[in-house]
Amino acid sequence: MDNTLPTEFDIIIIGTGLVESIISAAASRIGKRVLHVDTNDYYGGTWASFNLKSLQEQGTKPNEKQFENERCLQIGNDVFSIQDFSEKWHIIEHNEKENVTQTPEDNEKQLVETFEDKVTIQDESKEAKPNVNETKENSFSRDSLLNNSRKFNIDLVPKLHFARGEFVQLLISSNIARYAEYRSVSRVLTWVNNTLEVVPCSRSDVFANNRVSVIEKRMLMKLLTSLDEDDDNYKDNQDKTFLEFLKEKKLTPNLIHFVLYAIARSTDTTSCSEGIASTKRFLNSLGRFGKTPFLFSMYGSGETTQAFCRLSAVFGGIFALDRAQVGLMIEDDKVTKVFCQGQEICAEHFVLGAEKIPKLYTEHLKVNSYISRAVFITESSVMPSEQEHLTLFMYPAENGKPIVTVLELGSLTGTCPKNLFLVHLTAKQTTTPQEDFKHIIDNLFQFNDQSTEDIRKPKILWSCYFSLPETNSSDLKGTNHPPNLFVADGPDLDLDYDLTIKKAKDIFKQIYPGDEFLPRAPDPEEIIFGGEENEKENVEVTDTLQKDTTSLNDNN
Amino acid sequence: MASRKKILLKVIILGDSSVGKTSLMNQYVSRKFTNQYKATIGADFLTKEVTVDDRTVTLQIWDTAGQERFQSLGVAFYRGADCCVLVFDVTAPNTFKSLDSWRDEFLIQASPRDPENFPFVLLGNKVDLEPRAISAKRAQQWCQSKNNIPYFETSAKEGLNVEQAFLAIAKNALAQQNSTIDLYNEFPDQIKLTNTQKPSGSGDSCAC
Repeated sequence: MDNTLPTEFDIIIIGTGLVESIISAAASRIGKRVLHVDTNDYYGGTWASFNLKSLQEQGTKPNEKQFENERCLQIGNDVFSIQDFSEKWHIIEHNEKENVTQTPEDNEKQLVETFEDKVTIQDESKEAKPNVNETKENSFSRDSLLNNSRKFNIDLVPKLHFARGEFVQLLISSNIARYAEYRSVSRVLTWVNNTLEVVPCSRSDVFANNRVSVIEKRMLMKLLTSLDEDDDNYKDNQDKTFLEFLKEKKLTPNLIHFVLYAIARSTDTTSCSEGIASTKRFLNSLGRFGKTPFLFSMYGSGETTQAFCRLSAVFGGIFALDRAQVGLMIEDDKVTKVFCQGQEICAEHFVLGAEKIPKLYTEHLKVNSYISRAVFITESSVMPSEQEHLTLFMYPAENGKPIVTVLELGSLTGTCPKNLFLVHLTAKQTTTPQEDFKHIIDNLFQFNDQSTEDIRKPKILWSCYFSLPETNSSDLKGTNHPPNLFVADGPDLDLDYDLTIKKAKDIFKQIYPGDEFLPRAPDPEEIIFGGEENEKENVEVTDTLQKDTTSLNDNN
Repeated sequence: MASRKKILLKVIILGDSSVGKTSLMNQYVSRKFTNQYKATIGADFLTKEVTVDDRTVTLQIWDTAGQERFQSLGVAFYRGADCCVLVFDVTAPNTFKSLDSWRDEFLIQASPRDPENFPFVLLGNKVDLEPRAISAKRAQQWCQSKNNIPYFETSAKEGLNVEQAFLAIAKNALAQQNSTIDLYNEFPDQIKLTNTQKPSGSGDSCAC
């Protein structure tokens, strides 16, 4: 196959992180000729999702290879990439001792069965089927997890979406929503008085919650209604903390906890205006999909960058991943061309993901804060129940530890195999990821290989820690970089993508000031044909389809 | 027991650049063909209703949007496919040689529950052109070696066999869905964000 790229574009984007991908879609959408390249062979950069094996390889991956070419400035730096990656197994490698009487072949089959439904796995020629349930307890081994590696989609940067937030609105208004599917978060938990509690989000939650008294229910309703309607709250309480504000409203400690830590995701020192704004953000997204305000992307947050890239491709953007040698060619203080595996490709504007900034420019850039991340594979939920939950768990700040956002994902999210859970921990780094999360593990989890056993706590089968630079406006000011080179920030700590969209939009507006940012993309039928009888027919088909999926949503 | 629920089947078309993937889609859905080759722009996915064994099913046929050109199809493209259509150009031997890697790539990326029996369909396109490089026999042999994949010789230009091929695609995709989804719905209650979202009743919109 011919592997040569065209050599002239309007804009070249290097890196497939989310900011870059949104810019790619937006530029392509207004008819610009877009070349989008990445040195990785996967989409997403520091925003990617990996299967289990490929995530493990992140720890051992060598840095980008240097290549000899004095005419160009090689892209890539170590400052803005994933840092301090470590991972550890807490289960045995093979699982032989429990099934000594069986042949190795039977054994293997059985291990697979703990993940799969029996329909596709059962071998009809065999009369005696092993009973899965009997050996289910602790039957996981490294081999059995690795055999299911592709059933894991592990996010570097897990995100949730407010049902009426900017991201969801953008997906809908730009018609990119058709490339992705979502699940609603089914419960929000918090840690109060050394126990896990469900945060009442909806009427039905409040009824089901016997920890909240009738009087408290009224108080909570009154407060939330007043926050939602009354803007005077801002003006009168400017100097207060949100905690002081809530105390003045004479809420019980129980309710203050729910509102302050779980709904507003605040700390004791959060300002009143900030707390009210966060509470409103939460309230505004209630009641649209499911029981909580949040959605999670099926198969993980890494799908999102691919949805934007697809839109870019549909409108003519050319994509080339896995390009080993990429560099910038600079003339008269402007980037004129990109060197790409022996080719020289010119364009007017250039966008780089933060981790692709050439080392020359990063020398002056300092990362001011990091995101602590941990990922656990567990064999049960922190709060087991009959149906599988998608859980957001806000762990309040305490004793110098940061607020920790915990996301527990089951197999219904398409991010892990059946009978397992994927737990994501995210926080603003204070020391190291291990230290930032230690108290949560002590309180809620246990490692499968530790000596004492507590039947109430989920067992961690595999754990992994890393840090991500929080590249909040890592612009190149003061680095004498070329003016037609734009840097796209990496991940941030926001629960949703609001900040990300803003950053992408800012760069887009700098490059194309007069153009509309991601107007609604026409439906496929509208692009390919015009004024034909068939068109009408097709549009009707999609309309009924949409109705159908909508009615499905209402059952949530 | 037949369910009354509307059936939507996701079909993806794979093959080297310029074998006619987009043309086949367009010919099938709109009975149109253009000789002008443009590396795919604007082709996204098309939908068409077909009747298979008295059931109305909607085929949602996904184009590669040109991302195959430099081997840059992301895993998201492969998610949830019910059938995979492989296409080669009967006048271009290289496009036939690539079939193995396209099939492997699909099985790796889509990781279907039952890879042995996942429905593929092979289309040898451009049979209206000369000279022919890959004989029907050779293509059929390849199909036999891959657990009897159905093979059709098509011409997107003349509309030859296109309808029949897609009917077979619909049948196989439906059979695949029947054997898995009805017994075990892998991901129920997924949410598709659409404009037509009904505003929900006031019931749950208040926090209490």
